[in-house]
Amino acid sequence: MNIDANRDLIVAALARVPQGDRAALQTVYRLTSAKLFGVALRILGERSESEDVVQEVFVTVWRKAADFDPGRASPLTWLIAITRNRAIDRLRATKPIRKMDPIDEAHDIADSAPMADSALESAQDNARLYHCLDALAADERGALRGAFFDGNTYEELAQRVGVPLATMKSRIRRAMIKLKSCLEP
Amino acid sequence: MSEATDHHGFTADELLAAEYVLGVLAVAERADAAQRMEREPGFARMVSAWEARLSPWAAEIPGEAPSPALWDRIAAALPVQAAPRAGLWQSLAFWRGLTLATGALAAACIGALIYIGSVPQPAPLVAAIDGGGHHHFVATVNASSASIVVAPAAFAADATRVPELWLIPADGKPRPLGLLRADQIVTIKVPRDLMPHATRDAVLAVSLEPQGGSPTGQPTGPVIASGKLTLL
Repeated sequence: MNIDANRDLIVAALARVPQGDRAALQTVYRLTSAKLFGVALRILGERSESEDVVQEVFVTVWRKAADFDPGRASPLTWLIAITRNRAIDRLRATKPIRKMDPIDEAHDIADSAPMADSALESAQDNARLYHCLDALAADERGALRGAFFDGNTYEELAQRVGVPLATMKSRIRRAMIKLKSCLEP
Repeated sequence: MSEATDHHGFTADELLAAEYVLGVLAVAERADAAQRMEREPGFARMVSAWEARLSPWAAEIPGEAPSPALWDRIAAALPVQAAPRAGLWQSLAFWRGLTLATGALAAACIGALIYIGSVPQPAPLVAAIDGGGHHHFVATVNASSASIVVAPAAFAADATRVPELWLIPADGKPRPLGLLRADQIVTIKVPRDLMPHATRDAVLAVSLEPQGGSPTGQPTGPVIASGKLTLL
């Protein structure tokens, strides 16, 4: 199945959900639950909590599918954003402070962009993001990774890297500004 | 580089949106950002833009099958029926399929009686405007004064959006009537050219719109409730 076909299937199924079509929601679930569970598991590190998050995500989709605008976002981007937000909210609620391993900046990034995910983004978007991440300093990239993939707070990142909180805040902010101007020159 | 120059090119809102999406905020700041997304469309757009920028990164995360029992748990947790929402406006079948909810008539009568005491009306038309299993509003059309009186029933206010009333005659095209209130009865003057459309079996519907009402003259937000006009 090619990427566009998969994305179209998700969009078409999402469009039927607001009319109370459970089969349509189940189609969305079949096409996306493994990815969303993977995202939650990466942040929470625990299967049963991650399944709770995926459940919350699909109940949210059931209620709010009409808010999804296929003209403005890819469906998996929308679903992953809901999943990350739920997972991070749960993380903050249940584990206020985590002791994490230091960030190894030597291995902070894959050597090259992975294959574009089915239905996620085009290969072009994927390559552009990696190009811009590569343009960051290694310590900036490492901090962004800790936040995006592990759900770290500023405090946790500062502790993992061993720098003052203010240093970590300005590092992340500087990285986000660079990233935005690289992605949208 | 100083702290101040770090912010060069980013407003405080842009920074907050980026931090929210990246996931670095502590619990109170996250809650604050989430609330602002509900209230402020401009801020919500900044958040969406950051989600779009960063989401290709999630391609690195391997998929992992959840327990096979998870779908059944989700299916059991779904509310019985999703409320009719936006998107239905495009569906002619939805409007054709609207039928008079006879159970709603009782609520309509109660609502209408409130006005009959104060406003003399010849054979008023009423509608119980229902959605998601609740009577949200009760409307009474007063032909002699070319007005519609709308009383809130079980409608819960939304912090960011306002309820707007629409008349949908037989041609299926929604006409804006005016904004409603969750906390008081509203009397809406019906434009002269619309009054002939406010007939039996025409539909009154309520959508949620930005403050001040739909900017386009057509519903832009979700349809939360609707009901047919019927003779009392």
